[in-house]
Amino acid sequence: MNKTVLGFGLAALAASVLTAQDANPLRQSIKVPFSDATAQRKLVVEGLVGAITVRGYEGKEAVVEYTGRAGNSRSSANNPPPAGMHRIGGGRDMEITEDHNTIRVGHGSFMFPTDIVIQVPVDTSVNVSSLAGGAGGISIENVSGEIEASNMAGPVTITNASGSVVAHSMAGKITVTLNKVMPDKSMSFSTMNGDIDVTLPADTKARLKMKTDNGDIFTDFDVTLDPQKGATTVEEQKSKGTKNGKDTRTRYRARLDSTTNGIINGGGPEMQFTTFNGRIVIHKK
Amino acid sequence: MNCDQAKLFFAEHWSGTLPDQEEIELERHLGSCEACRAEAERLAPLWSGLASLPSEEPGPDMRGRFYETLAAYRDGAATAKTSAHRPLRLVWQIAAGVALLVAGGGAGYAVRGQSSGPSELAQLRGEVNSMRQLVALSLLQQQSASERLRGVSWAYRVESSDTEVLSALVSAVNHDPNINVRLAAVDALHPFAGSATTRDAVLQSLPRQSAPIVQVALIDLLVDLKERDALKELERMVSDSSIDSDVRQHAQWALEKLQ
Amino acid sequence: MERVGAGELAKLAVLFERHHRALFRYFVSMNRDRALAEDLVQDVFFRILRYRTSYDPEKPFTAWMYQIARRASLDRVTARRGEVVGIEEFTDRRNEPVSAAPGPEERASRGQNLALLRKAFDQLPPDKREILLLSRFEEMKYEEIASVLGCELGTVKVRVYRAVRALEQIYFTLEKERAS
Repeated sequence: MNKTVLGFGLAALAASVLTAQDANPLRQSIKVPFSDATAQRKLVVEGLVGAITVRGYEGKEAVVEYTGRAGNSRSSANNPPPAGMHRIGGGRDMEITEDHNTIRVGHGSFMFPTDIVIQVPVDTSVNVSSLAGGAGGISIENVSGEIEASNMAGPVTITNASGSVVAHSMAGKITVTLNKVMPDKSMSFSTMNGDIDVTLPADTKARLKMKTDNGDIFTDFDVTLDPQKGATTVEEQKSKGTKNGKDTRTRYRARLDSTTNGIINGGGPEMQFTTFNGRIVIHKK
Repeated sequence: MNCDQAKLFFAEHWSGTLPDQEEIELERHLGSCEACRAEAERLAPLWSGLASLPSEEPGPDMRGRFYETLAAYRDGAATAKTSAHRPLRLVWQIAAGVALLVAGGGAGYAVRGQSSGPSELAQLRGEVNSMRQLVALSLLQQQSASERLRGVSWAYRVESSDTEVLSALVSAVNHDPNINVRLAAVDALHPFAGSATTRDAVLQSLPRQSAPIVQVALIDLLVDLKERDALKELERMVSDSSIDSDVRQHAQWALEKLQ
Repeated sequence: MERVGAGELAKLAVLFERHHRALFRYFVSMNRDRALAEDLVQDVFFRILRYRTSYDPEKPFTAWMYQIARRASLDRVTARRGEVVGIEEFTDRRNEPVSAAPGPEERASRGQNLALLRKAFDQLPPDKREILLLSRFEEMKYEEIASVLGCELGTVKVRVYRAVRALEQIYFTLEKERAS
């Protein structure tokens, strides 16, 4: 099954277009069902300009919300609304297709900046790339699956997620919090100028490969550093302000010129952290 | 619709798969029957909770075992017997080759003959080659960057003389849609530094990359390779104002290192 | 073993990549044995290869695959009856989840106690577990389930409903036990 849903009420299609919210007559909300229960649900968002939020929720379909283009007078002038109807949006602002459980969201005939919020069932793999996410950047919350995010301008923030993450930001910060990791998936985080701040479950098994040219690397994991690769100098500092006198975790502060390799919890799939100017902080959850 | 009929529609109603006609009838019934409505509301959270139960994931070697058996199948019963004693390394090589093929998009892949070594080894290599192609087809289904990354990290396990793996890596550096995969592939080229192919490929790749972090990684690799042929391109980068200023500074640093 | 064309092996690999996780989950839920489940998944795919000519491409593949899965499971479990593991033991033995921290799935469950639901599900009789696995986890259509189980469509509807009711009973019994 392959459906194309345009961001303006093509009611003949299976997707239902809800009425716009009162506050903004151009605010669109489009529901798109996943058609194929046998395949993994996947959401692909590409080529948009503006903040993109993807959020897991309890429903079964994807709900795409965005603000339509203002001043889209061409259609207003040429297409007066049918009797008793009012316009809730205009033009082909957004193109949304569904094919075998993969929903794709991209811009329509015109590219225009808009903030978009997409709700998907929690168990959905997500692949979001943005040309310019702006200050809002790409934000992915509450989903469980394989997550890929790439932002040409602006930060990438992934919170309360499970699964695996491959994230890139050209210049912004990358913040990731994973509640649960898939045991055999490789991950990677990269940015030119931003910090990389990743929180992993305490029992995550991984081989860490960390590289920052001008920043520091911090973690509260017990990292077994691989002395043969990279790591030039490592300073150990006992963390201050211990609670109940029990917190004796060691903070590693590794300063180096090239890549630092280490393993946590005995090792596992590779996790790569690369930033040129930023810090790398890996928290234990 | 009576109560007994209505109950049989509950599950599809919760899943949103009930046909329109039945959905309308069911909702009409629920609107008028207090008992059914209460029951539906009581059961619905259990139904939705079921979908959220954490799923059991198979262990990491299950796939390896499957592909090993698949190889045995292809060769018929005779080879199947020996496959039980075959070192796991073969599986690794298959997996690595396959994953790399995926990383490289699988396009333009040519099998090059490796005639050196004893015939058994040659035969084994032959098997690995065809298995790579075979499984590549399957992994191509999975357009997952995480899987492709795994393929790249496996490249460290193959011999640095393996031209197939090398060309797959180069292809990933140039064509992979995911920047992180490109970045990982650049790093994975370091062990292949001895090869002229690597040097050429890196030189040609540099002007094609737009992501600053990948440009930096390529520059580092060129410095590692002590690639003096890179001077011209590095000079061009230093003076190209459309390039990220940190990258230009890094190119300047590389120039000084190489000169 | 017979010789099989590379094209067919490639197709099998595609099917494996697509379905092995769901099948594994099905077998673990049905037999409560991870090692056995891994064997059975393997078994199913090579049975698919063996019986491929009997597949009717007009019909949904998933349903056919589960017919094979049930057969494989039945064969294996009959062969090793006597070493079936009790629920309690199984629960203890089962691998810990990768992280105990609450994931989005937990939050998404409207405050439902998932651990309790899991326990209740595990205590269901096998036929009820199975029908919920197929209808809920695999999200199969009732027609497909009917062809897997070899019964009437109407029977599937009744059995799904009864399974949910049975789950409710166990769930609330467990909840009461825990409260007291």
